[in-house]
Amino acid sequence: MLRFLVRRSLGAIVILLLISAFTFFLFFAAPRDPALLACGRNCGPDALAIIHKNMGLDQPVPVQYWHFMAGIFTGRDFAQGPCPAPCFGYSFATGDAVWNTIVDRFPITLSLTIGAAAVFLFVGLATGMLAAWKQGTLLDKLFSSASLVLSSMQIYFIGPIVLTLLVYNTNLLGQPKYVPITEDPVGWFMGLLIPWCVLSIIFTAQYTRMARSAMIEQLQEEHVRTARAKGMSAATVFFRYAWRGSLIPIVTIFGIDLGTLFGGAMITEVTFALPGLGTLSIESVLRTDLPTVMGVMLFAATFIILFNIIVDAAYALIDPRVRLA
Amino acid sequence: MTTLTKTEDAPVPAGPDPFLSVRDLHVRFSTEDGIVKAVDGLSFDLERGKTLGIVGESGSGKSVTNLAVLGLHNPKSAEITGEITLDGQELTGAREKTLEKLRGNKMAMIFQDALAALSPYYTVGRQIAEPFIKHTGASKREGRQRAIEMLTKVGIPQPNLRVDDYPHQFSGGMRQRAMIAMALVCNPALLIADEPTTALDVTVQAQILDLLKDLQQEFGSAIILITHDLGVVADTADDLLVMYAGRAVERGSVKEILTQPQHPYTWGLLSSMPRLSSDVNEALNPIPGAPPSLLDPPTGCAFHPRCGFVDQVGGASCTSERPPLALGRAAACHLNAEQKQTFFTEQIKPRLG
Amino acid sequence: MRRAQAAIVALTAGALALTACSSGAKQGAADDQSRKDAEKMRGQIAFADAAASKGPAAPIPGATPGGTIKVYQRDTYAHLDPAQLYVSDQGSLSTLLFRRLTAFNLDNKGKYNVVGDLATDSGQKSDGGKTWTYKLKDGVKFEDGKPITSTDLRHTFERQFADFITSGPTYVQRWLADSNSTAGYRKLLPGGPYGGKHLPKSVLDTPDDKTIVFHFKKPVGDLPYALALAGYGVVEKAKDTKEKYDKAPVASGPYKIQPGSFKNGKGITLVKNTQWDPNTDISRHQYADKFDIQFSVSYIDSTQRLMADNTDNQTAISFNNQVDAASLQRVANDPKIKARSTSGYQPYVGVMNFNMRRLKDKRIREAIAYAMPIQSVLDAYGTPGGGELAGSYISPTLTGYKNIDPYGKLKNPLGDVAKAKAILKKAGKLGMKLTYAHNTAVEPLKYSVAVADNLKKAGFDVQNKELPSDTYYDIIGKTDNQFDVYPSAWGADWPSALTVLPPVYDGRQIQDGGTNYALYNSPETNKEIDRISQETDPKKAAADWFTLGEKILKDDLPQIPTFYYKQVQLHGSKIGGAVNNNILSAIDPTKLYVKK
Repeated sequence: MLRFLVRRSLGAIVILLLISAFTFFLFFAAPRDPALLACGRNCGPDALAIIHKNMGLDQPVPVQYWHFMAGIFTGRDFAQGPCPAPCFGYSFATGDAVWNTIVDRFPITLSLTIGAAAVFLFVGLATGMLAAWKQGTLLDKLFSSASLVLSSMQIYFIGPIVLTLLVYNTNLLGQPKYVPITEDPVGWFMGLLIPWCVLSIIFTAQYTRMARSAMIEQLQEEHVRTARAKGMSAATVFFRYAWRGSLIPIVTIFGIDLGTLFGGAMITEVTFALPGLGTLSIESVLRTDLPTVMGVMLFAATFIILFNIIVDAAYALIDPRVRLA
Repeated sequence: MTTLTKTEDAPVPAGPDPFLSVRDLHVRFSTEDGIVKAVDGLSFDLERGKTLGIVGESGSGKSVTNLAVLGLHNPKSAEITGEITLDGQELTGAREKTLEKLRGNKMAMIFQDALAALSPYYTVGRQIAEPFIKHTGASKREGRQRAIEMLTKVGIPQPNLRVDDYPHQFSGGMRQRAMIAMALVCNPALLIADEPTTALDVTVQAQILDLLKDLQQEFGSAIILITHDLGVVADTADDLLVMYAGRAVERGSVKEILTQPQHPYTWGLLSSMPRLSSDVNEALNPIPGAPPSLLDPPTGCAFHPRCGFVDQVGGASCTSERPPLALGRAAACHLNAEQKQTFFTEQIKPRLG
Repeated sequence: MRRAQAAIVALTAGALALTACSSGAKQGAADDQSRKDAEKMRGQIAFADAAASKGPAAPIPGATPGGTIKVYQRDTYAHLDPAQLYVSDQGSLSTLLFRRLTAFNLDNKGKYNVVGDLATDSGQKSDGGKTWTYKLKDGVKFEDGKPITSTDLRHTFERQFADFITSGPTYVQRWLADSNSTAGYRKLLPGGPYGGKHLPKSVLDTPDDKTIVFHFKKPVGDLPYALALAGYGVVEKAKDTKEKYDKAPVASGPYKIQPGSFKNGKGITLVKNTQWDPNTDISRHQYADKFDIQFSVSYIDSTQRLMADNTDNQTAISFNNQVDAASLQRVANDPKIKARSTSGYQPYVGVMNFNMRRLKDKRIREAIAYAMPIQSVLDAYGTPGGGELAGSYISPTLTGYKNIDPYGKLKNPLGDVAKAKAILKKAGKLGMKLTYAHNTAVEPLKYSVAVADNLKKAGFDVQNKELPSDTYYDIIGKTDNQFDVYPSAWGADWPSALTVLPPVYDGRQIQDGGTNYALYNSPETNKEIDRISQETDPKKAAADWFTLGEKILKDDLPQIPTFYYKQVQLHGSKIGGAVNNNILSAIDPTKLYVKK
């Protein structure tokens, strides 16, 4: 286990370094000058030069990269004030400390993704297993075709429709919003209910199909037949023996889907005006806000990598044949 | 004689009820290509404490028959008719709940490939204890104790440690022993062993077969031993049923069939079996051709496309008329008794060496 | 001066406006109404005297105090430091937070004037417009209760020269330094006042606590307008934290920022500033208890919420979000929603540039102008309400505007292809190669098919060149760009063409990254620009500017106008006092109240 963690952490660091370097240098390869945005409408070469200096953009790109990366570990000093580690600098666009912004916004994205993952894992696995249980029946066919239709849906298409139906026209639910769970757990839940459902729809459909086929495959496994031969009830066989095995492909896909989930959360945040990391990353890219782009990118990548390690560790929990090394 | 002998097509009830009785069993699977008649009118009986060997090539319906006895076929895809009676209790058409109470308890099954047949996700001990807990209402702790006891019985060293191992941590032979422990945990009156030794090397094979015999003596179980290897049944079984294309083609005691086989298919099986005494350079004589498609079985005797003795039977009865399996020691073949005797003694036996 | 800069357009498209719009009053979006209002505005923007600058503002009939107004905004305010404020969403916010020497005042009858805000009047000029004197009102205070003095105002202007102030307006600084360059004025006070240095008395004088005097090298006519810009909001000297002031500025208007409420991407809460004395302020009210501003709400989103008018949305509004183009039709057709809408002009005039260095023959430019389907261009911005066909370079909201149409574009908005072809034939240029460039934003992509099609029919061999939106203005701003025809838009900073004609048509300003996109250089025009810039009589200046604009259009034709940008906004049914303010080109936030 320790070896596994050490090996994966080293791998993660390499990946993060590559991502940071790639993002940083790609940013400077783009034709857009971040200083233009801060230059207001009185821009000229001389005004730009002043801003370049303010932003530290007057230095060679590798030097800037070095300062940026070093700042993450040692902190830096800026005109706006000292920036303790982990320092991602100050936003070019808003002048906020990037780390503070990320910390401020992350709970929203976390709530959104965890909630949506809970919804699509629960609903997807439940319907998929039910379809497998009732394989070949009308219910199975209904689920299968519904999941096909739903998986071709887009968040930005369903979002406004759901809003119109449930919020604007009927007032059944309130405007989606984020309230910290620590302040008001019920408000947190109600405010995110619609975003969770909308974000989870495409995933739910996918997991329904996956759970169904994984279950059907598992039910044909010999050891499942053995369990029946031992006199285990159909439910025990289904939920204890077959289910456990069907989790493995699902966990694998779930690990792969984390990036997609974050991408979906981005669109969901924009659709429902939830100011999470997704909204922040889109804003910062549009504003050519390098420190924020880098910060969000590295933070999200770290998080996804971390989660992937957890997912891989979960294999060992599910399947005792897997040994982490 | 433990096997009551009667015609396949018109089974007659026996006097005192045998422990397991199968009558005119048909198992049909609906597939996209059509109906597969996997078992086509099979009857046999088995009494307590006895062992019935069922031999035949792959696809002859051996395993399908026994899965039908346990009621493990998917009712959506398999159509099962006929009668299966266990200790006076009708199994075909019985409710799933009823069968659940019997499975692993009164009747149990040992599968061929223990690695695939044991769940990789639970410890061996848990898998052994589970049916015990379910059928006897024992506590988890008692279940564990029982599992250790069973592991000891099947000869697993350090059972109180190995009880917490997962199947993949066992060797092949130990896994098979664990399978047997699992099957025997509730002292089943009927034990079906489906090629229990095929995946094992020869020394282990012998140990396992000995183990089965010992356990049979201890518990007095009836055993159905499914195999394609006549060598295995020779030492273990009392009676033998030879199956071909979903039907029984010959039945008798082990001795009768091994020394005086009557059906050309049985001859083929014997000929294709290597003997210790034979010259290593001498080629074996496999049965020519392949097993027939059960979607569209041959007319008449299903074995006729592969049979070298069709010419010896007058007319076209081999291709048009299905030979009945007569009462008692019998073979379903159109050759007359004299021909069977002559051909075996003159043509087959010398080759067996 | 301002251009519709692409990077910002990508993010804040259409929200850049600061000035020049017209009120739909209480009746909501009606083109006729807003045009009438625009006419009312022109020629009426007077520089008010002390009597007309005295508070309090006349109460809005029916207005009641109390309640919270929810505000949906697409963009987080990029800055809160007054000196960094320029674009319109910040303009609306700063109206509530920061007072300046002067202010644009919209009264209850829909009339505009420039009043003294912190100052007692809109300014006293002397020395032929080279010296302007302001006296501070009594009782004006910061939110911390400290009185606002001339020291604070001196500091407010001196810190404009610091290097960290980069995104606000630069008019006053450049007039003080007599500099034309975008950064050269900083040499007047390098680094700002933080090293203890100050502007000399000969430039900025504060003889006592209440007086502030500006000394310019050349006559300045538009100072009262310029001082009303959000960028010249007062900064408390004792509380100036330089870069950090941008996050925690000290308010002087009727509202202040609730401490800790400003969260990037999330929102900001404004509460009543108890130190603000209504008796000192003619142009602002303080009805609502609180403005609860939420960011990251897209145009589509805010339009949907406000159209729904359910629960919380009844007391909601957006200062700067417009009705999205796709919803304009529904707003126009549903009387209930239309009644809750306001509309007005934005300061922008859309044009098609002709590259004067490539298309030297005026007949070719004329042919393109006649062929141009300006209706198709306008339609791409949504109808009704997305804009209005343009005949002039100068917006209808600017003083001095007259309705002109020298090329018959208003009569024939789909383009007169036959006439264009005839002119081209006469010039002997049938089949000439013409490169038409546009960016890949939604609207240009929509109309460019029609534009290229008309030009082809007129006899040009059209090469269609698509440029990336985010660098579009950088590319067409190159003096050696290889395009013949390309669209752009320009908006005024205040209702005077001083903020339009010099940046766009002064040939001496041609440089890479400049704003004279047509690369138009006429010595005659340059001379006129210099002359009118120093005209201190606002009325005469306005008339002269318009004449010059008309002359450039008729004689030289460096651009053909396409349309005047407009916007439609919505508010909830329990919001009172929703009136479009031409200066903000948005709903006026100081007049809003919650209906009981």
